[in-house]
Parts: sequence; C-alpha cells; structure tokens
Amino acid sequence: MAALSAEVKNVSKKMGRAQALDRVDVSFAAGEVHGIVGPNGAGKTTLIRLAAGLLHPDAGSVGYAEKGAEVPAEKAKHFTGYFPQEPSLYPDLTCEEHLEFFRDLYDLPQPEFTRRADELFNATGMAPFKDRPAGKLSGGMYKKLGLMCVLLNRPKLLLLDEPTVGVDPVSRQELWDLVYGFAGPEMTVILSTSYMDEAGRCARVHVLDEGRLLASGAPEELMRHFGVSDFADIFLKK
Amino acid sequence: MKLSLRRVRSVAYKEYKHILRDPFTLIVALVLPLVFVGMFGFVIDLDYKHMRVFVRDNDQTSVSRRFLQEVASSGYFDLTPVHGQLQADKALGRNDSPALMIIRSGFGKNVRAGDPAKPGQIQLLADGTDNVQAGIMGTYMQGVLQKANAVFMRADPVLAGQSIAADSLIRSRFLFNPELNSRWFIVPALSTIIIGLLAIVLTALTVAKEWENGSMELLLSTPVRPAEIVLGKLIPYFLLTFFDILIVFALAIYVFHIPFLGSFLLYMLACGVYITGALALGLVISVVTRQQQAAIQFAFAVGLLPSFIFSGFMFPIENMPVFFQYFTALFPQRWFLLISRTVFLSDAAPVTLAAAFAGIGLFAAVMIVLAVKKFKTDVEP
Amino acid sequence: MNEEKIVISVKDLVVAFGSFKAVDGVSFDVRRGEIFGFLGANGAGKTTTIRTICGILNPTSGTVKVNGQDVSSSTAVLKPHIGYMSQKFTLYPDLTVRENMNFAGSLYGMSPEAISRRARELTEFIGLPHDLPDPVSHLSGGVKQMAALASALLHEPDLIFLDEPTAGTSPATRVAFWDLIRRLARQGKTVFVTTHYMDEAEYCGRIALMERGKIVAMGTPQELKDQFFAVKPLELSFLKPVQAALRAALDKAGIASAVFGDKLRVRAHDRQAFNRAARPFEGAFEAREVPPALEDVFLEAVSGRKGV
Repeated sequence: MAALSAEVKNVSKKMGRAQALDRVDVSFAAGEVHGIVGPNGAGKTTLIRLAAGLLHPDAGSVGYAEKGAEVPAEKAKHFTGYFPQEPSLYPDLTCEEHLEFFRDLYDLPQPEFTRRADELFNATGMAPFKDRPAGKLSGGMYKKLGLMCVLLNRPKLLLLDEPTVGVDPVSRQELWDLVYGFAGPEMTVILSTSYMDEAGRCARVHVLDEGRLLASGAPEELMRHFGVSDFADIFLKK
Repeated sequence: MKLSLRRVRSVAYKEYKHILRDPFTLIVALVLPLVFVGMFGFVIDLDYKHMRVFVRDNDQTSVSRRFLQEVASSGYFDLTPVHGQLQADKALGRNDSPALMIIRSGFGKNVRAGDPAKPGQIQLLADGTDNVQAGIMGTYMQGVLQKANAVFMRADPVLAGQSIAADSLIRSRFLFNPELNSRWFIVPALSTIIIGLLAIVLTALTVAKEWENGSMELLLSTPVRPAEIVLGKLIPYFLLTFFDILIVFALAIYVFHIPFLGSFLLYMLACGVYITGALALGLVISVVTRQQQAAIQFAFAVGLLPSFIFSGFMFPIENMPVFFQYFTALFPQRWFLLISRTVFLSDAAPVTLAAAFAGIGLFAAVMIVLAVKKFKTDVEP
Repeated sequence: MNEEKIVISVKDLVVAFGSFKAVDGVSFDVRRGEIFGFLGANGAGKTTTIRTICGILNPTSGTVKVNGQDVSSSTAVLKPHIGYMSQKFTLYPDLTVRENMNFAGSLYGMSPEAISRRARELTEFIGLPHDLPDPVSHLSGGVKQMAALASALLHEPDLIFLDEPTAGTSPATRVAFWDLIRRLARQGKTVFVTTHYMDEAEYCGRIALMERGKIVAMGTPQELKDQFFAVKPLELSFLKPVQAALRAALDKAGIASAVFGDKLRVRAHDRQAFNRAARPFEGAFEAREVPPALEDVFLEAVSGRKGV
C-alpha cells in the first residue's frame, strides 16, 4: 500500500461553452496534501472530477502512478476516493446506514469495517450522531460524514472538492485535522478551496484562474513568487 | 470483474429504506391501485342496472313475449317497445338509449322447432360510445339468454328430452366489437396496466433523483457498476408493485366476484414479467433524462398512450390499419392484455400464449439491457 | 451611547422551538450607520435571531426593538424600512435583472416610475451596466450578487440584512461588494451581515460571535483579538520532521494547534506549558510570534466544543 501520485498533462476541457481548463499541467506528488486554489469558475471542480475519472479530457491526459510504476486509470479508480462539493449524501439515511452502504459498495469484510468505522467515528467525534439522518446534520457534520464514507475504503488518492465551503471555522479546523490525520505515505490528498486563507494550510498549492494554472509550489514560495502577502491578492493584482 | 451480488443487495436495501421513509411514495404505490380497482369494481357493480333498451319485436308471438318477460324480470334492463323502422332508427339516434334489441321474425317458430342449426335469433345493437356499458350489457344479455333457454326447455317437454346444447335455441349477435364481452374480465388486467404505469413513474424518479441530489456523483466514484445499480433499484420496486398486483387480484376475485378460469401461476408469471418491463422502462427514462421533472413527463407520455391506445383496450387491434397492427406488437401492454383476457376467460394451454409471453419477456430484457448500457459512469454533460 | 442612534435593540431575547432554545438570552444594540458582523457555526442561532428582528418569528421572551418600536407589534410598519438579501434565494433566474427589480418594487407598492428612477440610481451606485438583457441565470456570480443587492435596496430601506452575501464569489467580487457595504454605511444605512469568511469579518465595525444560542464574544475586531490573545499565537517551522510528534505532545498538554502545510500554528497562551511540552523537540523547530487572526479568535471563543 503506497499513496498514488497523479500527473495531469496538458489537459484541456470544455464544459458547455466555457473553456473550463486550458492546457493545464499539474503534478500531484504522492503522500502530500495538495490544495487547488482559485476563485469560483476557475476550473477547480473540473480538474478534480478529471482526476476522479468522472470526466474525460478533450485533450491531454491524466495518469496515475504508485511508487513510480504506472497504474492504469481503470485500476486507479478503485484506489481513489472522491467527495463532491455539492451535497451528495442521502438525507433520509442515518450516518451508520451510510457507512454500511459504502461498506458493501467497497466490499469490505465485516471485521475490517467495524475496526475502521469505530476509528472514524472516534476521529470525527461523530459517534453520538450515529443514528441521525444525514439531512439533519449541520454543515460541518455533513462534510465529516461524507469524508468518513470515502475514507472507509482507505483510498490511496483522496479527492475533496471544497470540503470546507459553508463550514464554520471550528468544523473547518476539525476537517483539516482529519485530512492531516490520514494524509501521508499511504494517502495523497488533493482538495480545492475558494477560501484564500486556507491555501496556507496545504503543503503544495496549485493556483488556478480562468482555466489556467498560474503556478504550483509551497505556499510561501508562491507568495514570494507573486510578491503578495495574501493569496487573495494574487487574483486582485491582475 | 463480475457482478457483485453484495452490491446489488446493498443498493436494493438502501432503496427499500428510501421507500419506507417516504410516506408519499408508499401511499401512492399502495393506495392508488386500490382506488382504481375499487372505482372500476363499484362503478360496474352498482351503476349498470335498469339499463334502457328499446325493443322491436318483429316476431310478435307468445314465445317472443315470454322471452321479453324473462329479459325484463332480470332487473338489468328496462324495456321500451318501438314500432316500425322509423321509430327504431329514432331510438338508436337518441343519446339516452344505450341499446336496441330486435327480435327477428320467425323467432318463435325456430325456438319451438328446436333445431340447433336454426336457432331463434335476437339482435342487440349497443351504443359503443360507452363501451364499458355496452360490454356489460352483452355479458348480462348472455346470462339472460341462458336462463331463457332453460325456461323454454322446461316448458317444452319434447325439447327437454332431447340432448341439445342449452344455448342453441336462442343465439345472439353483436354488431359491435366482438371482444366487448371480455371487458368485464379486463378490470384486474387494466388495474395491472395502471400499476405498470405507476411502476414506470416510480423507477423513472429514482435514478434522476440521485442525479439531482448529487448522490450519483459520489456513487459513481465507488466501484459500483451500472448493472448493480439497475438491478438493485429494480428489486424493491418489483416487490412493491407485485404486492399491489396480488391485492388487486384478490379484490377482483373475492370482493367483486370476477370470474377467473385460467391458471393463477400463469397469470402471476405474466404480471411479474410485465411489471419488470415497466420498471426497467422507467429506469431507462430516468437514466437518460437525469431530471425528475423531465422523467415524470416522459414516463406519462411513454406509459399512458400505449396503455390505452395501442393495447387494444380502447380500439380493437384487428380494426386498425395493418401497419398499426404490427406497430402495437412493440408495446407489452398489448401482449399483456391478450394474456389476461385469455387466462381470465379460459383455461388455455400456456403454449397458445407463447408469442405473447415472448413479447413481454423480450421487452423486459431489452429494457434492462438498455438501462444498463445507457447508464453513464461519468458526469460528462 | 446615544439613544437616538440605536436602530436595533435586542434585550434578553429567547426563541424556543419546543424544548430547544435556538436563541438563549441574547442582548445587543446596533447603531445607525454601523456594519455589524454576525458570526457563528451553522445552527448557532444566527438566522433565528435575524428572523426575529425582521418580525418573521416571535420571541419566546425578551424584547426586540427596531427604530424604537417593538417588532412583534409593529411588523407592518417596520417592513418597508428593512431590506433583506437571503443566501438561498436572491433573484428569479429566468427573469432579467430589470424584471426582477420591477417585481421586487411592486411588492413594496412602488410605482413603475419610482422603480425606474431607483433602478437607475442603484445601477449607477453599484456600477452595474444599465442594460442587462440576459436572464439572471446567464450572469456571472459577481454580477448576480450585485444585482441581488440592488434589488434588496430598491425600496430605500435603512436597515439591511445580508445573509452570507459573498458565499462562493471570487476575491475581486468580494472586495467590490465590501466596498459597497462601506459606502452604504457612510450614507447612514445600517448593515447587518453574516459570513463564514473570517477575513471579511475584519471589515465589520463590530462583531458578535454566536454559539449555541448565546453571544460568546462581541466587540470590534481589534478588541476581540486583544481580549483573546494577550499572548500571541506561535507559528512553528520545522528543521526536522517532528511535526506530527510535536503536535501529539501539544495535544496531550491541552494546547491547541493547527497544521498549515509544513508549519504548525499554536495557540499557546501558557508559554510555560508550551515550553514544557515542546522541550523534547528543541532544536528541531523554530517558533515565531504571529498576529492573531479572527479565525484564531473564533476557534478560541468556541473551543471546547467537540463533534459539531
């Protein structure tokens, strides 16, 4: 078990009339927490969906590798976990029922499931809400439950589209803790955010604007590169 | 990679919970068919008494008068005599006259002669615009004729001694759709078609709902495969609608006393296959439209029209232009109606229904395959 | 505080739904021309408070006065003074901006001439193009939000509620939007705004932080930072890979920290406790004091809350 790396090569993608991505090159090194940062409409969701195999590039390619050895996209999909930005849980099913549903979808043996579910319930502090339907969870809890469902499979590549949008700072902090708790040699994390102040929390930041990749690097490196003290200023300077 | 039964089961179980927790769906699915069958049952049971029938007696013998007494005493018909062709034509032209009965001249003589090849004849001209009533009238008239035959045989010791078929003395002829007399038996079949329509709508909503509430995106990022989702969604709705069918059948037989002559298992098999096809059609619609509102409109358009127009329910298929006769073969409603009619009215050998079973079976299979093939595994627009 | 200038006065407000107290003893005043920021987690009671002030919900106990009048008894009188821009629904997507304005204006009984005049004024003030022939659904997020604000301002309210007005818009839009809010405040309008963006909260004159139906902190951004961070947070950068181990040690000592990429941000009020916990890692990291952000204040004010 080793984390997957992903390589986006010269990818272009049209969504409707808009050019969502325009010749984008990004390399997501294994085992790190990558942040895709950019304003709305920058192409963040498109890029994440492409990496999740839910969209296909018009031009260019998306490749995956484990310890340097190439992994075919079809196979990589089984090691990939993805939680979309839009609400995507079943409002009438409880937290526990969600986990059981995903247990079956991922074909997890029961003992393994029990172990992982307990671990996740503890890590998220969601144990008291096991029997609450997803539709009655607060924004933060909802996102946590989604993350739990996806983490159940122990993906080697975790894709999160705006996991912290509409979530209060405390829940946001908890989500970040959760992400950092799992990221490492066994799991690469790629997430997107439109909160510019969150860029600093990522190990590597990929700045996206109007479908183009402006720069990639460690947060401080990038701020030096753009000559700004705040990520929001990158988009204001233009 | 193989189909995972575990994933099918888990999708089905999840869907089952959705159904259970959505009181609206559950009520619609369980109550609507009952309302329909109840409506048909009671309308037919209560309203059709004292139906107005104009009578033109061209025979004017004691036998014909005796026959008319029998008809009147049944309570189903209120007879009004008319005289001459002019009055008869006028009677037919009236809006409030459902039927005109003509007793042919020579009726009395033929009945007395008792020759099975030359029976006494009456003619019933029924107004086909109310085809349910016309059908019922035909059925009742058959009953009255049988009774009259028995009465005449008892009254005539010579005839009673002969071993001739009871209905050969008087024979009736319909100048209208000869299938009319099977309407009565169509009530349960029609209810099943309505349940089929319900089935299309129910499943048409499911996949579209997952697209609309976003869960499809999450689902597609897991290893679950289209065939597993399709089967998983079919199973709970199959159980729900099949339960409907059983209730409707029981109501029809035990509450409304609709005769059932054929094989129960054969009929249930037909219902099962038919419902599967309808559910799968709903899934195809859902998979293609991906929007609940569009899906429901589609479901009604695709479900409602063929159910009534191309099934032979409203318009007899043999009266259609040749092209449409073949065209109707595409619709399972036609085959299902044929099977129901046959199974309700006779204990026919299953072989005679092979083509009809092939029709509904093929439709169901094609729809399931289509739902799986059309199922998108990405979120491309 | 000058009584004349108080626009909203909330005293000991309690709003209960059954046994659940959504708002539990809240008091605050908002002055004319103030930008009042309302922060808190989802479900903390923000929306319930706003709805009570707007007169859509009745208080279980306590009083809510707007312009000196009790809200529950004079809703009809107060409504024309209030403009509300909701987060969920702003404009009908299939109508043009102008059609939306015509409709919104007619709800307040404005004449077509008055609507036209106001629409012209507002598009000028906001900097929207005069003629937007496309339906709202075709507009970009930024223009859409601006148009929604224009629609909420149409009837010249002097008290404006903005419920997460900038959620999901670009940094440029947010800057422009806040510029507008400040201009409105200068004109003497009172702006009551909720947001999840802590960097935006810095623009507010005063902030109230809600948590479980209660206000847990209130004041200007600087006051709040001073109040909660007499001792500034630390930012640690690492010379050796001990980040995870150090964080675990801090956790054990009850010192809150957050991972920022390869850095660790520590809210170390008790420097001695921090030094004790970090001693085993000495030489593996460098620490420097950083100015607290409102985000830190938020975390500090509601810490101890788990699993929400």
